[in-house]
Amino acid sequence: MTRRVIVTGLVIVTGLLLQSTLFWQFKLLGVRPELMFLVTIVVAILEGPQEGATTGFAAGLAQDFLLNQPKGVTALTLTLVGYSAGLARQYIVSASPLLPTILVAVGTATGVAFYQVVAFLLDQLQEPFAFAVRVTLLSALYGAILTPIVYPLLRRVIEGSRPTRVVRF
Amino acid sequence: MAIRRRPRSTRLLVVTLVSISLAVITLDYRQRDSGPLAIAGDAAKTFMAPLQEAVTTVTQPIGAFFSGLAHLPSLANDNERLREENAALLTQVQVDAAQQVELQELVDLLDLRDALDPQAVAAVVTANGVSNFEYTVTIDKGSADGIELDQPVAAGSPDAQMLVGRVVAVTAVSAEVLLIIDRDLAVAATIGDTREAGLLEGQGASDLRMSFFDSGTLVEGGEPVFTQGYELDGQSGVYPPGMLIGQVSRLIPSENETQQYVEVRPAVDFETLRFVLVLQTPGSA
Repeated sequence: MTRRVIVTGLVIVTGLLLQSTLFWQFKLLGVRPELMFLVTIVVAILEGPQEGATTGFAAGLAQDFLLNQPKGVTALTLTLVGYSAGLARQYIVSASPLLPTILVAVGTATGVAFYQVVAFLLDQLQEPFAFAVRVTLLSALYGAILTPIVYPLLRRVIEGSRPTRVVRF
Repeated sequence: MAIRRRPRSTRLLVVTLVSISLAVITLDYRQRDSGPLAIAGDAAKTFMAPLQEAVTTVTQPIGAFFSGLAHLPSLANDNERLREENAALLTQVQVDAAQQVELQELVDLLDLRDALDPQAVAAVVTANGVSNFEYTVTIDKGSADGIELDQPVAAGSPDAQMLVGRVVAVTAVSAEVLLIIDRDLAVAATIGDTREAGLLEGQGASDLRMSFFDSGTLVEGGEPVFTQGYELDGQSGVYPPGMLIGQVSRLIPSENETQQYVEVRPAVDFETLRFVLVLQTPGSA
């Protein structure tokens, strides 16, 4: 359990570091990837809705603390994204290797749109509608492009941090 | 039994996390810059600042290399020569060129400090905001170096003193600068030749938008836009007067006779901004 918490924490900090440094130079048509969405959805796919929601909450809160906007909006968004992605994975019976990519794209697009609606209702977002749609679609596309690289890496890390079960007879 | 109880516990967990998120939003909305959440935010930024600086130091050459590769088509002459060299040498050339640019930027910054404010603090941009909807940069100087809230931030050279933004958050070892392109930032400005005054507001990824105090203003494209000094109740404005903000890029036809707007392209290239100067004497340069 402790090992899982440390590993998840390290993954979140690494994601935030890369998002605020390296990916500033690697934008896709002016838009950065939403790495916290990517991490949350991948964890949800691998571990289910409970882990997805918890990781989403932690990742969202960590990102919120680095923003100057009201804290909690990203945490709320990613909690719901993690739970929904984990739930969706349980109901979709498919062995297609494209499934994680599709789930990341759809989850990121829905989550970013939800975030913008909440931020708009709190009077914290005044971006034009066209820009909001552009960021939603491009961040989803960027997430989908990164999934084939990030998914196997995270799967390895997460599976390595699973507690080993001891069966006693 | 156990199978039926598991989804319920997951739903309970989600409801709890959503409730905590809503409580955090409400609490932060009420307390803003004071209270435990603001302290936690400062602690998170203090924790991340040295890590961001380290990652930037490591990844900067990688970014410069790929950025250089992206610009190779426009460097046709250099291409001929570089094509004969191997990949290692190509990398070295890119790194050297980046270092020359950095050196020139630092020399310009020193000259700018002498010209603008000898007490100003030079800083390195170590990171950028984590959101696609917030336009900030993190610098490697904080309250321990004399950085305070609302201090103006500049870049460029004595010949081109350019406004970057304003300090909006400070920790002991780092500070966050809200860029002039952010929607939460507004600057009193004048158009170069006409000296007509107006209010310049950030538009995010788009050019800045300037509305005029006088509706009959005649403006032409390409005219430079500068910060305007003012004094209100004996207090001078945040930004020193005469700093370059950008050039008029588009005239927007007015929908009514009382409103007139122009778009202004910022002079600073925020994508490549590396060094800045935090002015210690706001409004008095």
